[in-house]
Amino acid sequence: MFEWLLTQIINYGIPILGAIVLLGAIGIPFPGTIIVIAVGAFCRQGFLSWPLTGLIALTCVVLGDCLSYAMGFYAREPVLRRFSDSDKWIQAENAFQRWGGMSILLTRFLITGLAVPVNLIAGTGNFPFRRFLLYDLAGETIWIFGYGGLGYLFGPQWEAVGTFLSNISGLLLGLLLLGVGIWLGLQRLRLMTATEESG
Amino acid sequence: MTPSRIRTLVFVLIFIGGLIIGFFGLRTLRAFREFGGHRPPPAPSAPDAERGQVEIDVNLIREWMTVPFISKTYHVPANVLFDALGIPANKNRGKSLKRLNKEYFPQVEGFVLEKIKAAVLAALANQPQQMQENPQSTVVPVMPTLGP
Repeated sequence: MFEWLLTQIINYGIPILGAIVLLGAIGIPFPGTIIVIAVGAFCRQGFLSWPLTGLIALTCVVLGDCLSYAMGFYAREPVLRRFSDSDKWIQAENAFQRWGGMSILLTRFLITGLAVPVNLIAGTGNFPFRRFLLYDLAGETIWIFGYGGLGYLFGPQWEAVGTFLSNISGLLLGLLLLGVGIWLGLQRLRLMTATEESG
Repeated sequence: MTPSRIRTLVFVLIFIGGLIIGFFGLRTLRAFREFGGHRPPPAPSAPDAERGQVEIDVNLIREWMTVPFISKTYHVPANVLFDALGIPANKNRGKSLKRLNKEYFPQVEGFVLEKIKAAVLAALANQPQQMQENPQSTVVPVMPTLGP
């Protein structure tokens, strides 16, 4: 599938790329990040114009995000009918109103697998659309021009960039687990010291 | 959560985190070293003096690529590549190497890829000013006798 998509991009260019990122933003599981890196390389090789490609890809992905926000927004009534009485739903909604902006921003380029669920929650949770659009635009700009820029920088070596980035993600996950482990250990140590001092 | 469970959780998190860091750290290092082995050609906007350089590493050719794409990347005319394969350019310009292989040489897997690599290498050898670095060698495949 991925290789077939690459062949279509080099044959038909920007319209196919636009369709891929738009469909990806409404939940079709395309390997968007690696495609953006590859397209950056194609721009470097002169197959595509980078300003036009970047602009159209950005427009399409933001449009896709707005569509999935709208899906959540219009599904709000049935969802609320079922869950609005639960405390957890109210807590989740409050938490999203407080941290939603950062969640939207980070899921655009760092934890991209969670982008669509976050869009749906933002729509369902009635997160202000203008704020959603602002964070979405900022995050997607980083995604398109950051990852595309890496592809542009490394040209035909973009595959190595993709491998490098997926390994970096694994490394970050390991660091996160280690960090949480150390933090929990330190908390436990402090608690034990406090108990000993008071006893 | 009981203190013993918290202690177990801390050990498990640190142990698994360490394992993942070790595994992906080595892979990241290896991937990073790969960058050093190859210098990409200059961007189209690079100074004129550098524009003479083109891509010469044929190991970067993949089966999803089309002949015109390879032609432009390596500055080798498309008709030279189609001639090397012995197939017409018409109707085949938008097809990937994998599809060409399936259609014309189904009996030898990867034949088109290797044939194209060999043709690009041969064409680059005739353009000595572009061979500033040693091109990557490839095995020249044996031409199969069948084809539609």
